[in-house]
Amino acid sequence: MSHIHLPDGVLPVWLWIAGFIGAFLVGAILLRFFKREDFPRRLPLLGMMAAVMVLGASVEIVPIAYHVNLTVISGILLGPSLIFLATFVVNVILALFGHGGITVIGLNTLTLSLEGVLGYLLFHLFWRILKKLTLATFVATFVALFVSTVSMIGVVSLGTSHYEELMHQEEGGGVFEFKLLKEKGDLQKKEGAEKEVNLKRFIWILLPLSFLGWLLEAVITSLIVRYIHRLRPDLLRLGGKPS
Amino acid sequence: MIQLSYLDYSAVEGKSFLHRFSPQAKLAGMGLILLGITLLRTVPPLFVLYVILLLLFFLSRVPIKILPLTFYPLIFAVLFIFISRFQIHFILLVFLKVLCGSTGVVLLLATTPYPSIFSFLGKFLPSLFVVALFLTYRSVFILLDVLEETQHALYFRGGIQWRRPWRSLINLSNAFGHLIIKGIDASEKMYESMVLRGFENRIHFRGD
Repeated sequence: MSHIHLPDGVLPVWLWIAGFIGAFLVGAILLRFFKREDFPRRLPLLGMMAAVMVLGASVEIVPIAYHVNLTVISGILLGPSLIFLATFVVNVILALFGHGGITVIGLNTLTLSLEGVLGYLLFHLFWRILKKLTLATFVATFVALFVSTVSMIGVVSLGTSHYEELMHQEEGGGVFEFKLLKEKGDLQKKEGAEKEVNLKRFIWILLPLSFLGWLLEAVITSLIVRYIHRLRPDLLRLGGKPS
Repeated sequence: MIQLSYLDYSAVEGKSFLHRFSPQAKLAGMGLILLGITLLRTVPPLFVLYVILLLLFFLSRVPIKILPLTFYPLIFAVLFIFISRFQIHFILLVFLKVLCGSTGVVLLLATTPYPSIFSFLGKFLPSLFVVALFLTYRSVFILLDVLEETQHALYFRGGIQWRRPWRSLINLSNAFGHLIIKGIDASEKMYESMVLRGFENRIHFRGD
């Protein structure tokens, strides 16, 4: 859900340009931590994990408008530097299929990579504390998804004044509007209230749906990690035995 | 995502006037569409833009099977209805912006082979990003083959049944886990082949 499914032209220009600049800066910082000579060897793995994320995003759970991102599992397998590059690539490819706008690629890269990086860090932290693989993955995924969804809501709320501008473009936009109020003052007051952006309602609808999505994705990620640990534990780069 | 192969087939085998246009011209056209979507703030001009894109879609003889792909982003756009207190104008505006954007990009991808698009992006992005884009695109096709096998295996293990949600979740997760492990194995083989063919951090395109 942390993927911003906004089309081009809805977010203000300054916001998506800031998204690209922010993504560039964060990418430059994160990629500095990675050894240059390791890049060619890790690139096919990055491509494969990005492809897994693209396939995951194409499996739509329509009733709750949710698709699994698989960003946390990709973050665990790729590490914080490469997951950033992977999320950028995923967002470019998804945008080419009309899944999220092209102008929001920068902002989407920031929110999705936040999920991946946080997932990686929390997974290792909880693994050290809890020593239970499934539980550590579940909590790390759930918290990472929660934080990235909150950051997505933050990004969407930054554009509030712009949405209001868009809504005021065409006066009398409510085609099926029945104006029963007699007094002009009341009418203006009502129209003003109707044309305000209702971010609260958006959040109240989004959060319960997201909660179901976080639970679902946290369970799926935990089971995937358990499966990988059974067959290829070396991929998880863990010290100590899980319970 | 299965439609990806149709998109690729259409882009390479299509013979319409739009297929014959240079990739640069089509990407410039896509840029203009984006500019239009960003700047237009009323319904009528956006509707005209959408009609033009639909006409181009049918004139370029892109398989009709691909058209539903352009409607997919509407599932998420529905959430933004709640921001506007159900203002019809805002809803139409957002939906038309979604449809123009998705129809534009799908039309671009269905009439332009992806190496041409990625090689053009290589003029602006570092080669590392472009190599990652190529490898991801290639990997999607490899994984689609694995996915087909996995679907059969999943079917034999009971598949996904709404009556048995926990079993279904385990099956689905195992399928994803299988996909990841197979993908990682394939990526190791891919790297070996790339090194054998002289890969040096850059993929060369035809015409480089």
